[in-house]
Amino acid sequence: MLALGRSKRFGAIFFSAIFLFLLSFSLSYAEGFSAEVKQAEMTLQGDKYLLSTNLIYHFSEKAKDALQNGVPLFWDLQVKLQQRRTFIWNKTVVETFIRYRIQYHALLNMYRVINEGNGEGYNFSTFSAALELMSVVTDFPLIEQSRIASDKDYLLAVKVNFDRDVLPLPLRPIAYIDPQWYLSSDWTLWPLIK
Amino acid sequence: MAPDKIAPPVNLYVLILFGLILLSLQLMSSAMQESSELSAMYSWLLLFNALGSAVLLILVGANIYSLIQHTKRREAGSRLTTRMVSLFVVLALAPAVIVFYFSMQFLHQGIDSWFNVEIDRAMEDALELSQASLDQRMHWHLKQTQQLTGKLEDLSENQVASEIESLREFSGASEMTVFSRQGHIIASSSINPGDILPSLPDEHIWLQVRQNGLFVAVAPVHQEELMVRVIVTVKAQDSQFLQALYPVPVRIADLADSVEFAFVRYQEMNFLRDSLKMSFSLALSLVLLMSLLAAIWVAFISVRNIIAPVKDLVKGTQAVASGYYDQQLPVIAQDDLGFLVESFNDMTQRIAQARDETRKAGFEVENQRAYLETILANLTAGVISFDAQYKIRTANQAAYRIFHVHVNQFIGRTLLELVQRYSELAEPLKSIQRLVEQADDIWQQRIAFLGPNGRQELLCRGTPLFSQEGFRVGAVVVFDDVTDLIQAQKNAAWGEVARRLAHEIKNPLTPIQLSAERLQHKLADKLGSSDATILQRSTQTIVQQVEAMKEMVDDFSEYAKPSKKQTVDIDLPRLIKEVLALYAVKSGVKFNADYGSGLLVINGDPVSIRQVLHNLIKNALEAIGALGVIELSLRRVIKNNTDFIEIALYDDGPGIKDEQIEKIFEPYVTTKAKGTGLGLAIVKKIIEEHGGAIWIDTTRKVGAGFIIQLPAYNSK
Repeated sequence: MLALGRSKRFGAIFFSAIFLFLLSFSLSYAEGFSAEVKQAEMTLQGDKYLLSTNLIYHFSEKAKDALQNGVPLFWDLQVKLQQRRTFIWNKTVVETFIRYRIQYHALLNMYRVINEGNGEGYNFSTFSAALELMSVVTDFPLIEQSRIASDKDYLLAVKVNFDRDVLPLPLRPIAYIDPQWYLSSDWTLWPLIK
Repeated sequence: MAPDKIAPPVNLYVLILFGLILLSLQLMSSAMQESSELSAMYSWLLLFNALGSAVLLILVGANIYSLIQHTKRREAGSRLTTRMVSLFVVLALAPAVIVFYFSMQFLHQGIDSWFNVEIDRAMEDALELSQASLDQRMHWHLKQTQQLTGKLEDLSENQVASEIESLREFSGASEMTVFSRQGHIIASSSINPGDILPSLPDEHIWLQVRQNGLFVAVAPVHQEELMVRVIVTVKAQDSQFLQALYPVPVRIADLADSVEFAFVRYQEMNFLRDSLKMSFSLALSLVLLMSLLAAIWVAFISVRNIIAPVKDLVKGTQAVASGYYDQQLPVIAQDDLGFLVESFNDMTQRIAQARDETRKAGFEVENQRAYLETILANLTAGVISFDAQYKIRTANQAAYRIFHVHVNQFIGRTLLELVQRYSELAEPLKSIQRLVEQADDIWQQRIAFLGPNGRQELLCRGTPLFSQEGFRVGAVVVFDDVTDLIQAQKNAAWGEVARRLAHEIKNPLTPIQLSAERLQHKLADKLGSSDATILQRSTQTIVQQVEAMKEMVDDFSEYAKPSKKQTVDIDLPRLIKEVLALYAVKSGVKFNADYGSGLLVINGDPVSIRQVLHNLIKNALEAIGALGVIELSLRRVIKNNTDFIEIALYDDGPGIKDEQIEKIFEPYVTTKAKGTGLGLAIVKKIIEEHGGAIWIDTTRKVGAGFIIQLPAYNSK
C-alpha cells in the first residue's frame, strides 16, 4: 500500500509539473511574439473576389538577430475560404497561401523581401519598410464569383505562419522550445460579405 | 527435463529494438548534414529519439522500482540482481561518461576553433572592400550622370526623348529614363529594346530624391542583375529627374557576390555557434542517454535471465529447508548453473525418497505400536512397564480396573510415589516395586492385600527388560486380580464337601437314629430299671446327636446350593424396615437406621437378602448382648461408572480381632462359642451371587462394621 501511495504521489507531482510547464509555455506563447491579422476582407471586382489583409508582425529579439546575421526567414500567409454548414464541419472551398522570404543583404545593407509565389523581390533599406510590404496584401485574387453560392454563408480564415522547419538545422530544436520563435498567429475568421 | 537448445541471453525483440535505436540515431546524424535530404525530418527524428529515450527511461524506471520492491521484500535473488545490475551500470556508465565528457570538450573546442578574430576581421574587411569598390563605382556614375544632366537642361520633352538614346549610349548605362516632377516617364531608353517599361523607383527612392535631390544605390534589378541606380535632378523649367541604371561589371558583381556569400555564411555560422554547440550536445547526449538506457535495460533482462536459475535454487532451498522435499526445478540451460540445478533436483529427489521411506517405516512402527497398545489396553490383566530407573513408563486400562487408580497419570514416577497418595495400595505396590528392582529373571508371586473392596488377591508376573547390549533398560509387570477365581475355587471346594456330607453322612444317620429308637423300644421292657435308664439316656444321646448332625448337614446343603432363585425388584429401605420390625420388641437394643434418599432398589432374591440381613443383625445382637446400639445406613455410591447401593451396618460390641478379619467370611470361622461358623460365609456367598461385595470396615475402631455394596437397579 505504501509503495502504491508513493507511486500515486509521484504521478501527481509529475503530471502537475507537466501541466505547469505547458501552462507557462502557453502563457509565454500568448504574451509573446505571435503575428496578428488585423483585418481581412474580400471584395468583388469584376467576376473575382479579391483578398485584402492587414497584418502585424512581431519580431522577437532572437528573430531580428538571426535575420541580421543573414538567416532568411519564411512566412506564409495562409488563406482558406470555407462554406459554413450547420451540422457537419465546414467545407473548404479554396485554400491558398502567399509565401514571403525576408533576408538581409550585408553587402548592400538592405532588406530583401521576396514573394516566393511569383518570384518578385523588393529591396528595402529599412527593416520597417520591408515589414510594411509583408503586412499589406491588397487585391489578391482568391476565387471566382461563380464558385460562391449566393444562398450560402462563407467564412474567410486567415493565418500568418512562421515556418520554423526551414530554419538552419542547429536553430530548429531551439525554435521548437523557445517562445521567442513562436511567431505564427492563430487562425482568424472573417465573414464574407457578398 | 533438459531443453535441447541453449537460449541466447538477449532475445530477438531486444535486438530489433537496438537496431531501431541505432537506425534512428544514424538518421539523426545524417540529418545533421546540411545538404542531407533528411534535414527536413530532423525535428521528427529528434522527437522520435526523445520519445524512445522516454520509453527506455520508463522501462528502466519500472525495472528499478520492481527491483527495489523485491529487495525490500527480501525476495530470493533480489540482492544478487541488484549487485549485478549495479556492476553492469557502473561498467557501462564509467567509459560512456568519460567518452561523453571528452567528446563534448572536443566538440565545443572544435566549433570555437572555426571562428577567430582574424577571420572575422578578414571577412568584414572583404565585405568593406567590396562595398568600397561599389561605392567608388556609384560615386563615379553619380558624377557622370550629373554631368549628363547639363545636356538635358533647357530641352523640351520631345528633345529629351530624342537626346536620351545618345546620352545612354555615351554614358554606357543600360537604361536611362527621364521622369517628370510628378514621377511620370518623359523619356526612356534601354540597351535592351524589348524592355518597354523602364525600372521604376519605389516610393522610398522618390522620398530620398525629393529630400536630397539625388539618389544613388546599388541594387539588384531585373533577374537579380546588380545595377547602380542613379537619380539626379535636371535643372529645367519644370524640374525633371534623370534615372540611369549602370550595370556592374560581371567580374566585380561575381566577386562581390562571392564575398557577400562567404560573409553571410560566416556571420550565420557565427550566429549559430551556440545553437550548433547545443544541437550537437543534444544529439550526443541523446545518443549517450539512449545507449546507456538501452544498456541498462538489457542489463536488467540479461541479469534476470542469468539470475533466474539461482533464484529458483534459492527458492527451492528455502522450500527444502521448510520441509517441502518434492522440489524439481526446470533446467533452463546446459551450463554450470544447469548442472547445479540438475544436482539440486537429484538431491531433492533422494531426500524425498528417503523421507518417504522413513515415513513409511514410521507409519508401520506406529501401526505396530497402536496394535500392541490396543491389545494391551484390552487385556484383562494389568500391565505396567518400567524404565531403567524403575519409574512407570506405561500402564494399561486394566491396571486402573484392578487398582482403581489411574496409574497412567503417574508416568515418570515410581510406584512408591503412588503409595504416598493411595495408602490402601501400599502392600501390593511396595511388593511389586521391590520385586521389579530385585528380580534378575522372570518372577511370579501371589500378593494378597486388603483393598477398599475387601481382600484382594493378585497374581503378579514380572520380567526385567534388557537392551541388545545387555544393559537393563526396564521391566514389565503383568498382574491379574484372582480374588474371584480363588473364592470360586474355595466355594466349589466347600460345595463339594457339603454335597459329600449330605450324601455320605446324612444317609446313614436315619438308620442310626431308627436303630437307636428300635433298641430303646425293644429292650426297655426287658432290662432292669437302672439298665433301662442307661439305655434310654444313650439312645436319646444318639438321637439328639444324629439330629444335630442332620442340622449341620442341612446347613452345609444350604451353603452349597445357589441362593439366587427368583429375582425381583427389591425396595431396600422397605425390606430393611420389615426386617428391623421383627427385632423391635427386644428391649435394651437401639436401632439407628438411615434409609437414605431417593429410590434405592436392587434386583435380587428377597428371601436371600432377608437372610443376609437376619444373619448380620443376629450376629450384631449376639455381639452387643442386652444393651447396645446398632446403626444401619443406606446410600447410593458410584464406583467404576456403576451405581451401587451401599448398606453399612455397625454395632458397638467388642469388634473383630485383626487376625480374624481376613478369614471371617470363610466357613467354620466364628468368634462365638455357639454356631456353625457358616453364617457370614453364607452372607458373603449370597452377596457375591447378587454381583455385590461385602467387607469389614476396618476404619471403624468401635465394634464391628460391615459394608455391603449391591448393584443398583435403575428402572428406565
